Amino acid sequence: MPSFKLDGKEIPFLPGDSIIRAAYRQGVDIPHYCWHPGLSAPANCRMCLVEIVPPPGQRPMMLDILEWDAEKREYRTVQKPKLQPACQMPAVDGQEVRADTSEYVEDARRAVQESLLLNHPVDCPICDQSGECKLQDYWLAYQGTAKRMRDEPVHKVKAASFGDTIVYDGERCVMCTRCVRFMDEVAHDPVLGMRGRGNLNEIFVAPGRKLAGHYTFMTEHVCPVGALTTKDFRFKARVWFLRSADSVCQGCATGCRAHLDFDARNNTVYRYRPRESRALDAFWMCDEGMLTYKRAHAERLLDARLGGRVAGAAAALEAARKLFEGVAKDSVAVVLSAQHSLEDNWALLELARKSLGTTSLYFSGDADGYEDAVLIHKDKNSNTLGVHGLAPDAKPYDQLILDAVAGRVTHAIALGSAAPRRSADDVDTLKGLRALVTIACHEGPFAEAAHVVLPATSWAEASGTYVNARGVKQRAEQAILPLGSARPAWEQVAALGRALGHEPSWTTLADVRAKLGLGQAPAAPQVEAAQTGTTGA
Amino acid sequence: MEPIDREVEERELLLPSEPVHLNMGPSHPAMHGTVRIVLELSGETVQRADVQIGYLHRGFEKMCERGTWAQVFPYCDRLNYVSPILNNVGYALAVEKLCDLQIPERCQWYRMILGELGRISDHLTCLAAMGMELGAFTPFLWFMKAREMIYDLLEEETGARVTHSYCRIGGMARPPTPHFKEMCTGVLSPVLALLTDGEKMLVGNRIFLDRVEHVGEISQADAISLSWTGPCLRSTGVAYDVRKAHPYLRYDEVEFDVPVGKNGDCLDRFLVRLAEIRQSVRVIEQAALRMPDAGPVNVEDPRVMLPDKGDVYTTIEATIRHFKLIMEGAKVPAGEVYSYTEAGNGELGFYLVSDGTGQPYRVRIRPPCFPITGTLSKLVTGRMLSDIIPTFGSLNMIGGECDH
Repeated sequence: MPSFKLDGKEIPFLPGDSIIRAAYRQGVDIPHYCWHPGLSAPANCRMCLVEIVPPPGQRPMMLDILEWDAEKREYRTVQKPKLQPACQMPAVDGQEVRADTSEYVEDARRAVQESLLLNHPVDCPICDQSGECKLQDYWLAYQGTAKRMRDEPVHKVKAASFGDTIVYDGERCVMCTRCVRFMDEVAHDPVLGMRGRGNLNEIFVAPGRKLAGHYTFMTEHVCPVGALTTKDFRFKARVWFLRSADSVCQGCATGCRAHLDFDARNNTVYRYRPRESRALDAFWMCDEGMLTYKRAHAERLLDARLGGRVAGAAAALEAARKLFEGVAKDSVAVVLSAQHSLEDNWALLELARKSLGTTSLYFSGDADGYEDAVLIHKDKNSNTLGVHGLAPDAKPYDQLILDAVAGRVTHAIALGSAAPRRSADDVDTLKGLRALVTIACHEGPFAEAAHVVLPATSWAEASGTYVNARGVKQRAEQAILPLGSARPAWEQVAALGRALGHEPSWTTLADVRAKLGLGQAPAAPQVEAAQTGTTGA
Repeated sequence: MEPIDREVEERELLLPSEPVHLNMGPSHPAMHGTVRIVLELSGETVQRADVQIGYLHRGFEKMCERGTWAQVFPYCDRLNYVSPILNNVGYALAVEKLCDLQIPERCQWYRMILGELGRISDHLTCLAAMGMELGAFTPFLWFMKAREMIYDLLEEETGARVTHSYCRIGGMARPPTPHFKEMCTGVLSPVLALLTDGEKMLVGNRIFLDRVEHVGEISQADAISLSWTGPCLRSTGVAYDVRKAHPYLRYDEVEFDVPVGKNGDCLDRFLVRLAEIRQSVRVIEQAALRMPDAGPVNVEDPRVMLPDKGDVYTTIEATIRHFKLIMEGAKVPAGEVYSYTEAGNGELGFYLVSDGTGQPYRVRIRPPCFPITGTLSKLVTGRMLSDIIPTFGSLNMIGGECDH
């Protein structure tokens, strides 16, 4: 593998890599604003300038510059090597690049940073980016001085609505054009542009259009400063109070890697962020997926229910025991959930096969929906393949309704509350069963129809494994503590099993994972094909 | 009428000799801070003394590890709370050593003067309390009066009598007040006068001497092997003073002596502290001459030093600097350091580990009076009950410092 030297460190690269990308793969960050590993490289922020040492025998390209001589109080002509943007320069085998070790680069970074902050408003205290802002990080790392300009800064548009989701602040913008390039290259909807010149330029939405579609949140995510903020997260939380859990998006079967940001002080989830991996070329999430963090709190089932009314867990389990007393095992149906983790489904399956002895298996989940060629999968369930893998013979929801109407199923235990359709007839059919026990975290047809409901934790409150549409097993770690009296579904299944007189074969999550052949350690990122076809230089 | 005990024989009674258990403290007027001594007495002789220090426990080191590096300063005030400025300086020097910061000369002299004032107030408190506990109330009032003068001066400089929180990483919270030097010289002579008066009352006083001479004696070898430092160690004749042995700030540029004792008893500890006050006065006088009247007090390093408040509200650069230092804390380079200074009671050590973040990974404190207090039971065993009072007083255990 060809390689070059960056500050004395050997950096291998793939043919065609730019210097910055090769370094990024090796975990070395050359400071940058406009470059993004998932976008093209415009080289307009000038933050990634590096000094490339010419090959032996060649003269370096030198520039004449004027330098202020403080002693003589006049300018003098000196020369300095011409610096190159690392995002544009292809890596060349054997070349030597200086970044942190070059005084010229240090100087250039300080100058670029000073220029970017010339007209920046004093907004940190009211800016949502504060705490994760590159202007803040780089000021401390590379500038550390006050600006020399004494003029009134340029004023531009503030809090302009770009659409239903995004707000733009022109004064904070550093004109990196990441948002413009994202909409163009990834969302394939070139609705954003740049207008004006010099320090008067700004980002704008094409006249007559709004920033809309399925990927507007990503413009905020790629924004290295606080110029773009989402209406959803604006003024909701300060990021330095938030903690992150390595999670997996629950919006569809694509199962994007995500950070689930939560505040441990009030046990509340605040947002999703894409979880990048230097090994995978996966950077994006869709708007719908980003907003699924709300499911951690919305429409939750937080208490056990008996006949639709809140009841204690013991009373609910006792009622379940009575309902299932003396029932023939053939008439018990078990409904798995494409929205619950492998662990939860395995526990219910174990109860069905080993303890209840039933072979009447079904699965349920949300109906198919919108899909596109970028990220969004038509299957809106996070673990459909996982359920198929565990129980290939499980029948779909429609068959369950038919069997229930026909009386082939009289008793049922359901995991999850989701069904492909919201129909009052279906609910009546399910209500007509002699017994329906639902273990679920959200409201839905199964919870509505159930005689007994046991509250389960959502993906945000328990660690779980999900299989995405490509068959990749991904672990979503616990973020917040269980809400209400919810417990992980595998635990509720065990409690139900005990109530029905069957001692479960597992007591801890580790037991379940051992039976499933999943290691205790979080699944390492597995190399899969790029989520998007678009990659930059 | 005849006396009723007439028939009792006038001979020695045979009393049962079972030991008496007695609790001193944890709340006792002679217990500095909350410490408890469980005594086993035979008559008035101490057979066993179990010294228990856990009554003041704040989880000091863990508290320090919860905040940013700069947020440790207020905690340091509460280590040795009779000379808090010395703890401040000790911690600041430790972090600066880890950051490899060179602080301006003016700040170094300023820290030295404030620190020596702190040492004087520390020693005055110890001497005053020691005399008072043996019944000498007048010198106590005089020494307290002198200490109050120093506290007034420190309050003028730092804004607080005791909890100064005045040092910063790379400097001080504020530059010296315009009349700082005059106030220093103005306060020293009345303090010395009061000290001399108190000394006359005690050092020639037979009642006092009888209680402290050859009481609580420790040998040089024992003191060294028990990790004693400070005035208590020097009272045994070992001239170990961090300021001389491993000079920091500008102690190598001033002249002062290290007073030592001979016997390592309570009297020597008393006399060493008395002599050290006079040495501190010498240091202050020299430092006041050497300290520049103008020039920076703080390093101009945006990584550790807060910007001017006026700029924070008006310029983005200062806002960012303020934000990074307050919200994330000064990023101290990864590594570990042991930094030690001469505090009131001896070698105050800070062992700091940084993982490169704005929060200390580990703060380990070597409080000077911890090993010294650990020796108390050895010093009083076999002695009279009343000897505990001068011995304990002369060791100058400080509850806040002993918090372990």
